[in-house]
Amino acid sequence: MGLRRFYLIGFFALVSFDTFAQVCFKLTANAAMPPEPNLAWLLRVAASPWVYSAIACYIGAFITWMTLLERAPIGPAFAASHLEVISVMALSVVLFGEHIGTAQLVGGALIIAGIICLAISETEAEKKRPAEAAPSLPLRP
Amino acid sequence: MSATVITLWMLNVLLDTVGQLSFKAAAAETGLGEGLARWRGMARRPWIWSGVACYVGEFLAWLAFLSLVPLSEGVLLGSINIVAVMIAGRLLFNERFSALRTTGILLIAAGVAVVGIA
Repeated sequence: MGLRRFYLIGFFALVSFDTFAQVCFKLTANAAMPPEPNLAWLLRVAASPWVYSAIACYIGAFITWMTLLERAPIGPAFAASHLEVISVMALSVVLFGEHIGTAQLVGGALIIAGIICLAISETEAEKKRPAEAAPSLPLRP
Repeated sequence: MSATVITLWMLNVLLDTVGQLSFKAAAAETGLGEGLARWRGMARRPWIWSGVACYVGEFLAWLAFLSLVPLSEGVLLGSINIVAVMIAGRLLFNERFSALRTTGILLIAAGVAVVGIA
């Protein structure tokens, strides 16, 4: 497989896993309503199939991240692992009928600009210090 | 935002940051050997376990948080974790901030503030 194709598939898989993890989280949260600090809520969470899909997506994202980092530069990988903000917002509208207001559009644009700055700075840092360890998996929750 | 939402959000940021730093501390320990021996060495030390405990707590805090806010707003507010982890990395592991990194952090913080205040 060519390197370009490897990157494309890898980044697409990473964004997809992260996006679906968040969608599954929301579906779990909805299924287990209302949230309460007790065992009953934990049991409702555990009874939802979506929570296991969320965990599976996390494992998928983790494996993709580790595989990508063997060859891909850290900057674009970092960006790809956080730009799921865009895809999650789009799916929130489609799947959950959420309304995206002006504040969210402006805030989202600022956050994405920030993520791009960080991705470029990571790329520059990697060029200077190739031996330095990559940042850990940006797991979010 | 209600007090419960803010508490869950802050709990999520705190657990994520402590979790990431724990894993960083586990990975940064030297003299544990190679391969499987290294993993055994890490398992005897507290860091990897505090990291796992934080992530389990974070998982639940995030679920409760998303029960109360729309997903589109939740992912935007969750972006503050990037800022928190980078600032903690600078304070505890002396990671350096370039001008570009500082700009990125400020932009993300500003974006989260816009979403949070509205």
